[in-house]
Amino acid sequence: MKNIKLWVGILLPLIILAIPVESFGIEGLTVIEKRVIALFVFAAMFWILEPIPVYATSVLIIVLELIMVSDKGLILFRDADAANLGELISYKSIFSTFASPIILLFMGGFFLAMAATKYRLDQNLARIMLKPFGQNPKMVMMGLMIITALFSMFMSNTATTAMMLSILAPVLTYFPANDRGKIGFVLAIPVAANIGGIGTPIGTPPNAIALKYLTGEHYVSFGKWMSFGLPYAIVMLIIGWILLNVMYKTETPTIKLDIKGSFIKSTKANIVYATFVLTILLWLTDFIHGMNSYIVAMIPVGVFTATKIINKDDLKKISWDVLWLVSGGIALGLAMEQSGLALHLIESIPFENMSAILIIGLAATLTMVMANFMSNTATANLLMPIIAALGTTVESLLNIGGLTTVVIATAIAASMGMALPISTPPNALAHGTGLINTGQMARIGVIIAIIGLSLSFVVVYILKLTDF
Amino acid sequence: MEKITVIYLDDQREVLATIGKDLAFFENLLNLEECETVDEAEQLMENLYSKGHYVALVISDHIMPGKNGVEFLSEINRDDRFEKTKKVLLTGLATHEDTITAINNANIQRYIEKPWKSEELVQLTRELITSYILENGIDYEPFMEVLDQNTLYHYLHQQS
Repeated sequence: MKNIKLWVGILLPLIILAIPVESFGIEGLTVIEKRVIALFVFAAMFWILEPIPVYATSVLIIVLELIMVSDKGLILFRDADAANLGELISYKSIFSTFASPIILLFMGGFFLAMAATKYRLDQNLARIMLKPFGQNPKMVMMGLMIITALFSMFMSNTATTAMMLSILAPVLTYFPANDRGKIGFVLAIPVAANIGGIGTPIGTPPNAIALKYLTGEHYVSFGKWMSFGLPYAIVMLIIGWILLNVMYKTETPTIKLDIKGSFIKSTKANIVYATFVLTILLWLTDFIHGMNSYIVAMIPVGVFTATKIINKDDLKKISWDVLWLVSGGIALGLAMEQSGLALHLIESIPFENMSAILIIGLAATLTMVMANFMSNTATANLLMPIIAALGTTVESLLNIGGLTTVVIATAIAASMGMALPISTPPNALAHGTGLINTGQMARIGVIIAIIGLSLSFVVVYILKLTDF
Repeated sequence: MEKITVIYLDDQREVLATIGKDLAFFENLLNLEECETVDEAEQLMENLYSKGHYVALVISDHIMPGKNGVEFLSEINRDDRFEKTKKVLLTGLATHEDTITAINNANIQRYIEKPWKSEELVQLTRELITSYILENGIDYEPFMEVLDQNTLYHYLHQQS
């Protein structure tokens, strides 16, 4: 099975490479553009079928681009068919996708999350934040969902889910065996983590990929993203909470969650607390100090390494796989844009005759459906370059906000793929508890996705009205 | 999916059969191997290593003809090829001194006394397998069914 997937992923792009440029039926298609089509098909096949890990596919995209379409690539690829070779891409710009500001923004987020976990800031915050919710199961579930969503805005959705399930799991064993309330509690965590990720640019990788396409006049700051991401997440959380309470009523009268510990009071811990607060404040006040989100993200990196709060050993724990997965997506987008392929493709399809609503609706639905079956990040990697190109060129879209509208709608849709255990790591963890089945997960996942997509259209419409 | 092996070693066939029954739960996802002698176990480990398979866990009896269990586990502990392999001593007849050697020299993760409870063996296997998979950076998702959730939560929480 794995071998079949591998061969499909390799042969299909090779066939595309072998077809003469003229047979594609796209006027003015260059040889480089054809190679980028082959690369795109390679990426799509490998990310969807996953014969190798998704981050490895990303690395291969970069390596293949360097060899096949860069200005310092294999000489054979540079000299051949000079007449309509097309534009070679600078190797430096391909390399720089590894250190794109987006990647470093995410790395800054990793540093914050790592330091917070290391000094138990997350556990201690969860402890004091849960207190006001008392012991009424409904309120406790709300507390858990709020904390999960809030943390997943700054930590990875997976780490947040793991932490919250470890808090929740011991309590669930006290529930009567036939109490369906358990199901609601277990589902509440991944639902809240997936929704929470939408709240900030660093909440989940698809947001970062969206930011990559929102540059220049379309630049969206950290605070600006939160100004729509946060209200959206709050409304979705409330809807999720109501649904779970209606679908899985608990008979247990009280529930008591126990988190041990107290805030660490060492100098290093205090530096962690202060840096955390300062970084978030700076992210929200760029209009005063002028530093953009990418630059602010480097402050925790500097502070934590200088103070050895993040030491040599911790550095090795950075999720390079996540960073490189995004880099590969950026590299794919770069090749499609710089070779001219993105525009070429869109010009050859009669999008002009389609209504803007239809285009956005299709883009968001396709993204959501794909994200259910494959990595959310890989979905955004594949679709965002094309959708962003649509946003800049299609006339009808410009009337409803153009680039910003479609890109944000797509990013939100990528986080809405959460109907199956394989959809996201938080879902897999919740399913791993053995307390819920796939059907139960799918029911809430599909309802949330439908409401979530509809609400995202409302959000982008409001953004247009307020001239975002 | 990576090939992950659990080896259990005892000179009595009945004991091997009981362990085998207890561990049957893991048989879909892990490779379970029984050995009657230390020699056989050493051969098997060599063999698995050269094929690039993982030896995740060795559960060994202590009193056996020839090399005893504590000596065998100590050797594994010194062998850098099996540095991360988890080791369990399963015995009813270890002296005080043997036990000290097992902890200090063999660096065993668990000590189980015969007779043991089936659930106990399953649970410790879950925990040790989970640690092994995570410590070696093996893709854990295909093994979800046999993992200890708490160990997994703890590990994933520490990842950025």
